[in-house]
Amino acid sequence: MLRAGRAPHILSVSELAQLLRSALDAGVGTVWVAGEISNLKRPASGHLYFTLKDDRTQLGAVMFRSAAQVLVFQPADGMDVVVRARADLYPARGALQLYVEAMEPRGLGALTLAFEQLKARLGAEGLFADARKRPLPRWPRAVGIVTALHGAAIHDMRTVLARRWPAAAVVLRPVRVQGRGAAREVAAGIEDLNRLADVDVVIIGRGGGSLEDLWAFNEEVVARAIAASTVPVVSAVGHEVDFTIADFVADARAPTPTAAAALVVPDRIDVVGALARAETGLRGALARRVGQARERLVALDRRLGDPARRLRDLMVRVDELGTRAGRALARRLAWDRRELAALGARLERGGPVARLRGAREQLEAATGRLGFAAAMRVRHALDALSPLACLERGYAIVRRGDAAGPVVSDAAALKAGETVALVFARSRARARVEDTEG
Amino acid sequence: MAEEAPRFEEALVELEGLVQRLEKGELPLEESLAAFERGVNLVRHLTQRLAEVEQRVEVLLKTEAGRLIRRPLEDEEQ
Repeated sequence: MLRAGRAPHILSVSELAQLLRSALDAGVGTVWVAGEISNLKRPASGHLYFTLKDDRTQLGAVMFRSAAQVLVFQPADGMDVVVRARADLYPARGALQLYVEAMEPRGLGALTLAFEQLKARLGAEGLFADARKRPLPRWPRAVGIVTALHGAAIHDMRTVLARRWPAAAVVLRPVRVQGRGAAREVAAGIEDLNRLADVDVVIIGRGGGSLEDLWAFNEEVVARAIAASTVPVVSAVGHEVDFTIADFVADARAPTPTAAAALVVPDRIDVVGALARAETGLRGALARRVGQARERLVALDRRLGDPARRLRDLMVRVDELGTRAGRALARRLAWDRRELAALGARLERGGPVARLRGAREQLEAATGRLGFAAAMRVRHALDALSPLACLERGYAIVRRGDAAGPVVSDAAALKAGETVALVFARSRARARVEDTEG
Repeated sequence: MAEEAPRFEEALVELEGLVQRLEKGELPLEESLAAFERGVNLVRHLTQRLAEVEQRVEVLLKTEAGRLIRRPLEDEEQ
């Protein structure tokens, strides 16, 4: 434009700036440039302002909010980055500026960097602390699962849960586990399952995949939802080698969805074994209890065998043994046999006969002794408490009117001519009052 | 599983208690026998329940209004 021989064309400042901008646009355009971030500022507008520099030069740079908000990692001072940028003149200040459209950390993938950054931040907040980890319930009523409706993960988990512990219900909250918005869905799924009263534990998970595939489980919104859950959360993302942020925050981490399912419920086989052991314990204890009763009977036999006591016992007790104890014994034996028959029938129905035969024979053998021992014990107890023992010795109880009337303990309560009942040990008589004294 | 049935956990705790009380040998004979029967019944009941129970699988959906709906998961959805 400047030609010799003619008066120079004089540009306004704005015109020059415009010229420079065109030249930059045509001559440089959009480039990829590597440098170190310094002097980073992040005002409320959401735009990022920083200086991109190497050891000799520095250039001002801006990354507008629309571009900055899709960054998965947090740019920081000192970070080596590669940016895609357009060089342009900022006319108001006449400053050369890089308009950054995209940014990648150097050396390390953006996702890897983002992962490390979030891990460091949440770790510093204490979200991974062991003290925060809640124990898993032993007998969950329902297991909540946040995963994709379709896919191997839910299939594997259902298979394991059905085999190990069908008594627990399974509540699936279907979500997308990868792609945009997946993290929010997973977080919402955890929150929704927390609103169900019977869900005692939640599994979040998906099968293995690349870092990109698993990304939802590395996002802060999922980490926060796990931390806020009122029931324990088990994270089951991918395979052994893949760790996610969710794994660190969760109350338990399983390498695969299959392993997570096995972690949250007991195994039916173990419980059936425990039940069998309980039954063995019951049988053994009952057999020992019957043995005790038998020993008591033997001791009683010895006492009866003592000659000095024997005479007295024969005189005082033979009669009762022949009547009251005899009746009690008969009743008791009949009762025991009925019970035993009922028990036997149940046991017969319930399990292999051979296994139970020993116990039943033991019981049968014990039943005769059991009935007799019980009768003896009951009689001793009654003797101690009952006036019958006195009556045996010749006393009688006086009752007003008939044998059902009130006990008379003072003759003053009686009038001449009144009818009373005299109650003896095994019989009674009616009598009329002749006279009272005292 | 029927709602009136005791929770597995509670039934197991009761069973454990019965075994312990019986093993102490302090119960009168009749109570020992009753505890034994109750225990054996519980074992039968729980074992049977484990053998018979079928897993309930539900899907939790959210309406646009934010209401949660539980319904059985149809296998063809898989």
